[in-house]
Amino acid sequence: MTQTAALEVLEPGLQTTVQDYPGRRGRQSLGFFPSGPVDSLAFRLANLLVGNRPGAAALEIPLGRFQAGVLAPGRIAVTGPETSVTLNGSPVPQWESVPVETGDVLACEVLRGPGHRLYLALSGGIAVPEVFGSRSTFLLAGIGGLDGRALERADILDTFPSTPSRPRRLPVSLRPTYPTAWEIEILRGPHADPDFLTTEDFADFLAASWRCDLSSDRVGIRFNPHRFRWARPSGDVAGGHPSNLLDSSYPPGGILAYGDVLTVLGPDSNTSGGFAVIATVASASLWKVGQLRPGRDTVTFREIDLDQAAALTAHVNQLLDVKALS
Amino acid sequence: MPPPAPARPDVTYRTAGDRALLVEYGPPLPVDLGLNFFAHASARHLEENPVRGILEVAPGLRSLLVHYDPETIQHDAVIAAMDRLHQEIPEPGSLVLPSRRVKLPIAFDDSTSREAVERYQITTRPDAPNVLDGNNVDYLVRSNGLPNREALYSRVLESEWWNAFTGFYPGLPSLLPLDPRSELVAPKYNPARSWTPEGAVAFGGPCLVVHPIESPGSYQLFGRTLPICDLVRRPRAHRADPILIHPGDRISFYRVEEAELIELRRQVFEGRYDYDIEPGRYAVADHLAVQADPAIAAEAAKRRADRVAAQELVKIP
Repeated sequence: MTQTAALEVLEPGLQTTVQDYPGRRGRQSLGFFPSGPVDSLAFRLANLLVGNRPGAAALEIPLGRFQAGVLAPGRIAVTGPETSVTLNGSPVPQWESVPVETGDVLACEVLRGPGHRLYLALSGGIAVPEVFGSRSTFLLAGIGGLDGRALERADILDTFPSTPSRPRRLPVSLRPTYPTAWEIEILRGPHADPDFLTTEDFADFLAASWRCDLSSDRVGIRFNPHRFRWARPSGDVAGGHPSNLLDSSYPPGGILAYGDVLTVLGPDSNTSGGFAVIATVASASLWKVGQLRPGRDTVTFREIDLDQAAALTAHVNQLLDVKALS
Repeated sequence: MPPPAPARPDVTYRTAGDRALLVEYGPPLPVDLGLNFFAHASARHLEENPVRGILEVAPGLRSLLVHYDPETIQHDAVIAAMDRLHQEIPEPGSLVLPSRRVKLPIAFDDSTSREAVERYQITTRPDAPNVLDGNNVDYLVRSNGLPNREALYSRVLESEWWNAFTGFYPGLPSLLPLDPRSELVAPKYNPARSWTPEGAVAFGGPCLVVHPIESPGSYQLFGRTLPICDLVRRPRAHRADPILIHPGDRISFYRVEEAELIELRRQVFEGRYDYDIEPGRYAVADHLAVQADPAIAAEAAKRRADRVAAQELVKIP
């Protein structure tokens, strides 16, 4: 398939990476978590807006700062929190496809309000090689994306050919909102009360407002330390702390009790380990953790059951139906 | 006297979100290789008899994480399918699993592992009790109640090591000794180390691990071996899969001096090294026979008692 040079990076931003959805699946037993976008909802919507498959490769731009020169005509869409997006200095809207011409300069300003990651899709999708079945960047192992790393100044991004698509726009009423105090739906377990935490501990977990720690990233979203009581004195041979258990594989979105620090396992996290996973973020709500601002936002966790999780999934699928786009 | 036939383990199902189910086998402790064999047999049986909607499974020491698509198969149906599967698996004592034998050189207490410990002391925790005198090897010797470093090295060299599962990082094997006399236990660093060299060999909890990539880590470092993962390079023998050590493989180590290891590592990077890999299978009955041997069992029990006594004396951080 012929590829076209589509963008030249002028300002790469904090840690902009190429990702695809659902990422590198089917290899957890060999130690790979999926990678892919932390906010897969805004990511997939960006692709749909420019006429791509939801799984095409696109950019994840944490904190929003990014500039690039356009090398070929096509369409772009920027989704995620509200910021200033300009083409040759003139504002262009987010959440809709925007035509671009060779020689244009696209710029996204640093995010000043709530929300943490922008997504930029290019018509055709970014053409980087697949590594173990995915184009997603996995920084720690240095694989996927563009040479396994974050973008740098003067990088050239190619795209695959695309067929012209109609302009598309996501109605305002359907766009996700980005608060400063979040509510995130979780399912209890696999290692909750009464075997691991006490019933009071789990009630505390649900009642507390958790502050997203500055050290949060694609590997994990960490929260303020909290001393649980725990239902057992220690982890025995697995380790001293009662959160320790014999190693097992972790579910993506699992909320790990890493000693006294709760961590949501991000897309680049380790795939297994010896800590209790006290709850797991509902798959349809996992996008929210991609928009938590390190050091600023707070979260309360709301327990739901499997039926409610299925209803949430159905709702998100509706959003991702092309027919919803105008 | 034939070894007692182990029963099928008790199964605990735990919800792990709306797209995964954690299946746990047997009681949490003690560490029992038999439960790991059963987990592998379950994973393999599922691979050979796929269930629509079950996407992938990832083993742990005594568990399986089963990923499923809730829009194709419901939680209850996954449990029913796993229940059926557990009944279909042969008696644990008759299990024979695919298992290759991989021989790897090891240089004990090498300079790169020592550097990682040194860096930790400088940048993270100068007074960490688990890096006694700046050396993890001496700490391992003391906390396991061993007379000296050579005794530690012998434990590593004398057993074959079973890859109970691959995880944490791409290609990282968690190995348990097939010979119960080689059981060792080590506390993990607190806090974790920010840098571990690729190829480092370390102990944490009951597991021996080999680091496939440069990464953080919290296990006690005691040696270094060859690269075991080829995510970006192309050494020979990784052609079929970038991961050298598969779940269920048996690893044995042979001792080399550091200079020789460096030369062998050079051969790997230059694509001139052929890894020593022998295809094969492993019968759980072999493990049960070793466990049931009275002399071996007595020696293993004595060593375990020495270890427990030592841990009373050595402060665990």
